[in-house]
Amino acid sequence: MSDCCPGSKTMDFNDDDAQGEDETGARQSQLKQWPIQLHLVSPQAPYFQEKDILLAADCVPFALADFHKDHLKGKSLAIGCPKLDSDQEVYVDKIASLIDDSKINTLTVMIMQVPCCMGLSQVAKSGADKASRKIPLKQVVIGVEGGQVLSEEWL
Amino acid sequence: MENIMNKDIRAVIDQCPEVGRILEEYGIGCAPCSVGSCLVSDVVGIHGLDPQTEATVMYKMEKALYPDRDVPEPKVDLSKIKPKEINYSPAVKNLVDEHVLIKRMLALIPTIADFVENSVTVDKDLILSCVDFIRGYADKFHHMKEEDILFKYVDEQSEIIKIMYEDHDTGRNHVRNVVEGAENGNKAQIKEHLHGYRDLLTQHIKKEDEILYPWIERQMSDSQIGEMFQRCSAADASVGEELPRRYEKFIIDLEGKFAKEN
Repeated sequence: MSDCCPGSKTMDFNDDDAQGEDETGARQSQLKQWPIQLHLVSPQAPYFQEKDILLAADCVPFALADFHKDHLKGKSLAIGCPKLDSDQEVYVDKIASLIDDSKINTLTVMIMQVPCCMGLSQVAKSGADKASRKIPLKQVVIGVEGGQVLSEEWL
Repeated sequence: MENIMNKDIRAVIDQCPEVGRILEEYGIGCAPCSVGSCLVSDVVGIHGLDPQTEATVMYKMEKALYPDRDVPEPKVDLSKIKPKEINYSPAVKNLVDEHVLIKRMLALIPTIADFVENSVTVDKDLILSCVDFIRGYADKFHHMKEEDILFKYVDEQSEIIKIMYEDHDTGRNHVRNVVEGAENGNKAQIKEHLHGYRDLLTQHIKKEDEILYPWIERQMSDSQIGEMFQRCSAADASVGEELPRRYEKFIIDLEGKFAKEN
């Protein structure tokens, strides 16, 4: 892979000394719906009605160890990749429909700290602009290395 | 240290004035506060200091209060520091934006007060139109969203919320006195209470923008942020778009009037 694009640049985090404590016991999944991929979900699905929605880039849950506990809990989910997914104008329409038809309460977009991921925030903003209802829209950016929340802001 | 966390800050500062100086060093202005009934734990927590600064403030306060005690240097796990403070959510951002128009009115008050003093007779219409802005926009339109919606998401018995309510009431009292002065042609009364309102609201808005609003939002879930947004939007819709536009035009006209006279 070329080193030019931060989204596909090869990085190895394996030599990090801080591996964290060994964990025991099973954690409960906070996923309360299926499907989750934005092309597959229906914006009118019952699990979206008047809910707080999390729109996550595909890579986010892998980077963030406590994704379920800290971010997914209490929210309904949709995922997508702004770099690889096709027909993203459908995404814009679906987000507008979530806001207008399912009357969602908030929309949080979680993306990785790579330039191409900003496309998902742009999709969310375009959907919000297209909707006639207004809702709070939040962007959360996750660091590639170490999986930390780098920023969290209302747009 | 735990035993002073639940004491009133005024009592702690009275016991050890150095504590007031330490707080002031970190931009926490408790020493000159006339109320001073906030608990020490709230004073530190409410300002949203980063963990290292908070630990340092607590360390210095403990050293000041108990100079003979062997107080360990504060150690903070930097890996657990949370990301930068989030910005205002849309509903609270609207409240902050409304402060901007109110501050434009406050900026005109010294000029208006001088105008009243130097006029042969009190321009009652001018004073009452300013009062209408304060009552219709600052109080009814803006403060009511705070009192009826925003403050309901936190403990209304907390000291900082009680102080906000007291500020609103004190402001209303100043306005009543301005009206009384205008009715009686009492220039001194108008001037005194216009300035009183200006001083009060200047500090009040600063406290809200920099401390209160971020403190409230830190305690709210995303779900509550969304609910609050819809409630504030409904409150705005109930008065219509014309009301804020009318008051903005009033301020523009007032600024124009006094720009010409100066």
